[in-house]
Amino acid sequence: MNLRIRTVFSILISFMLLLIVIVVGLLLGEDSFAINMERKNQAPSYDHLFGTDWLGRDMLVRTIKGLTLSIGVGLLAAFSSTLIALFLSLLASWNNLCDRIVTWLIDLFLSVPHIVILILISFSLGGGLRGVIMGLALTHWPHLTRVLRAEMLQVRSMEYVGVSQRLGKSRLWIARHHYAPHLLPQLFIGFLLLFPHAILHEAAITFLGFGLPAEQPAIGIILSESMRYLSIGMWWLAFFPGLCLLMVVGLFDMLGKNLRLLVDPFHGQKS
Amino acid sequence: MKKIIVVLVISSLFSLVACTDNPSEIEETKNDSTDNQKELVLAIGGEPEEGFDPTTGWGRYGSPLFQSTLMRYDKDFHVEYDLAESYEVSSDGLIWKVTIRDDVQFSDGEALTVEDVVFTFQKTKQSGSVVDLSNMKKVEAIDANTVKFILREPDSTFLSILVSTGIVPEHAYDENYNEHPIGSGPYQLVQWDKGQQIIVEKNPYYDGETPVFDKLTFLFLSEDAAFAAAKAGELDVVSVPSTFANQEISGMKRMELPSVDNRGVMFPYVPTGEYTEEGFPIGNDVTSDIAIRKAINVAVDRQALVDGVVDGFGTPAYSVADQLPWWNPDTVMEDSNVELAEEILEEAGWKMNGDGLREKDGKEAAFSLLYPADDQIRQSLSMSLAEMMKPLGIKIITEGKSWNEIEQLMYSQPVMMGWGSHDPLELYNLYSSKTRGIGYYNSNYYSNPTVDEYMNKALHASSEEEAINYWKKAQWDGEEGFSAKGDAPWAWLVNLEHVYFINDNLEIGEQKIQPHGHGWPITDFIEKWQWKE
Repeated sequence: MNLRIRTVFSILISFMLLLIVIVVGLLLGEDSFAINMERKNQAPSYDHLFGTDWLGRDMLVRTIKGLTLSIGVGLLAAFSSTLIALFLSLLASWNNLCDRIVTWLIDLFLSVPHIVILILISFSLGGGLRGVIMGLALTHWPHLTRVLRAEMLQVRSMEYVGVSQRLGKSRLWIARHHYAPHLLPQLFIGFLLLFPHAILHEAAITFLGFGLPAEQPAIGIILSESMRYLSIGMWWLAFFPGLCLLMVVGLFDMLGKNLRLLVDPFHGQKS
Repeated sequence: MKKIIVVLVISSLFSLVACTDNPSEIEETKNDSTDNQKELVLAIGGEPEEGFDPTTGWGRYGSPLFQSTLMRYDKDFHVEYDLAESYEVSSDGLIWKVTIRDDVQFSDGEALTVEDVVFTFQKTKQSGSVVDLSNMKKVEAIDANTVKFILREPDSTFLSILVSTGIVPEHAYDENYNEHPIGSGPYQLVQWDKGQQIIVEKNPYYDGETPVFDKLTFLFLSEDAAFAAAKAGELDVVSVPSTFANQEISGMKRMELPSVDNRGVMFPYVPTGEYTEEGFPIGNDVTSDIAIRKAINVAVDRQALVDGVVDGFGTPAYSVADQLPWWNPDTVMEDSNVELAEEILEEAGWKMNGDGLREKDGKEAAFSLLYPADDQIRQSLSMSLAEMMKPLGIKIITEGKSWNEIEQLMYSQPVMMGWGSHDPLELYNLYSSKTRGIGYYNSNYYSNPTVDEYMNKALHASSEEEAINYWKKAQWDGEEGFSAKGDAPWAWLVNLEHVYFINDNLEIGEQKIQPHGHGWPITDFIEKWQWKE
């Protein structure tokens, strides 16, 4: 099989799998993980593949619901981070001063441990869904901005850009016609690769108690709740949701990397 | 990414192995503390952050351990003398005279005098802490052995203050006292490693029954760590949350102590419209309807909550003071009765609409129920209650919040709260018109003149029996009261049992009904602890 076809194939598979999770998660209503004391603390069985928790809620349903929520949060966060990155990299191309400001901002954000700044932002915004999304959105842009800025510097020194400038084209025109086509593929793949980061960070700060409220069926909540039950042997509360989170993150990673192979002409045919 | 997966797989394999472990294999690491006759290691809960100063609240829930009190309760809540020899109350209830013994010494060898008693109560009044002494006008020594308390208002519950306030020495009291307590209790503090442990030794000058154990070590461990340490045979006494209570620990036996450590839903009692001085909203238009509160009280299946949420380690709760002397047994009601609840709601005009929700005058029977987000039992209780009320057409949205947020919202939204004290004054604090909106007290803004009158009579009562009689009437006199049979400003749900595992060979005797869970109530009768013969 041709390498290119193989790449397309794995993109399709990971995309389908993620789509299934989202669709199923959206279709499941509130009632599907209702409390049922009669079946609490059950180990995995055919009736409940992932077991049940201490309130008798089915862990498979909770996990899928949680993943859907995580994907949603990740989508929002990755989208806004990408927007910020695009804006800042365009700003950096304006003049030397802007470039220095942007570089300084990137260094500032990268010098503080990510999770700390995330907690800081989400906490100061009052926590909850809004705090988490804002926190994730405002902290994931530095790496991508750096990549985009480098790309921009490279494009700016190209001869055709100089020609356009001398022909009297406006900066906006140049940005649209010369910069954007080069940046877009980077942007798109950057967006996909931000996704797993955002999801993991959402789970992490929720796990630490600074994130989503406990009623939300988020993976971070499920994991932090299950910690209390590990020492009495209810391993399935943490194991399956954790594994599923890893798989979803892995799928996004795969999707992003394969897309890059497909889009990037220099690496497309290499193994 | 690969590394993470490998780590996760390995760690999950470990947890699998750990669960299939046969408990009998661990049995070899038997508790060997029986050889170590004179020492005990305990892990019985949180570190008292404010230290061990009775004038700021230490010992209020449970026993002060390092200090002793003027009087004390025996396990059936009869008052016994401790430092006091006798006491008398004037006929108007305003003047209390307490005579103390003159043969008591602090753990540093100095004698305990009336000045120390006067000093303790003055200090407590000034500290403005959780201990409320605003009703005490004056305290003075009238001779070498007698202390006189002058009250502003008659208060029969003043006795509870005498029971719960440990006496501190005036000569050794300074701002560091809370970390270096000196008292006349059975034990004295030797060492406090903050965040880890305290070590106490027998007080050589203690005048009561001499404790069997020379040295006690209290470890401050997380629930998981304490449980693990107990399994490894390192502890003699450990308190566990109800989640762990079903487990077995070899070499230890389970003790389930009944308590008034209760959990229940506080309903705002008045309609919306008013604001507190700080600007927080007061009142709730749904829960101010008595039909809603009664229906919830009648429909809830308390036993199911006990079995489901706390694995049977608890009892159904019907009031804030179940099983205490001032509790009125008439407050026990038949619950889990959905038909009756429906009848109550129908009669009051709450009709089912198309969405399975009840409505009255365009208002839906829906409200938020707040709980402290880090308290798992309250979370489970709230969610289970919400589930139980669904078929009734009442929609409860549960929301976990921090205590700071709850303090702003609790006057207008129902909260899953917990109380349970050995002091009947708690009834007054929770239900009196005078305590409306004072901190957590009566955040319902509940008020009923009949109840107020009964409680005032109880406070003014000259004898304990008389007071208890009025406390009972305030709960339910056959027609009115603050219990669920009357105005139902609360829906009490469960009393938690406090579960301990203790060394098979250790006898700790009978315990009192345990109070709300701050402090170390289990050490109350520590001088009676002994090894099994």
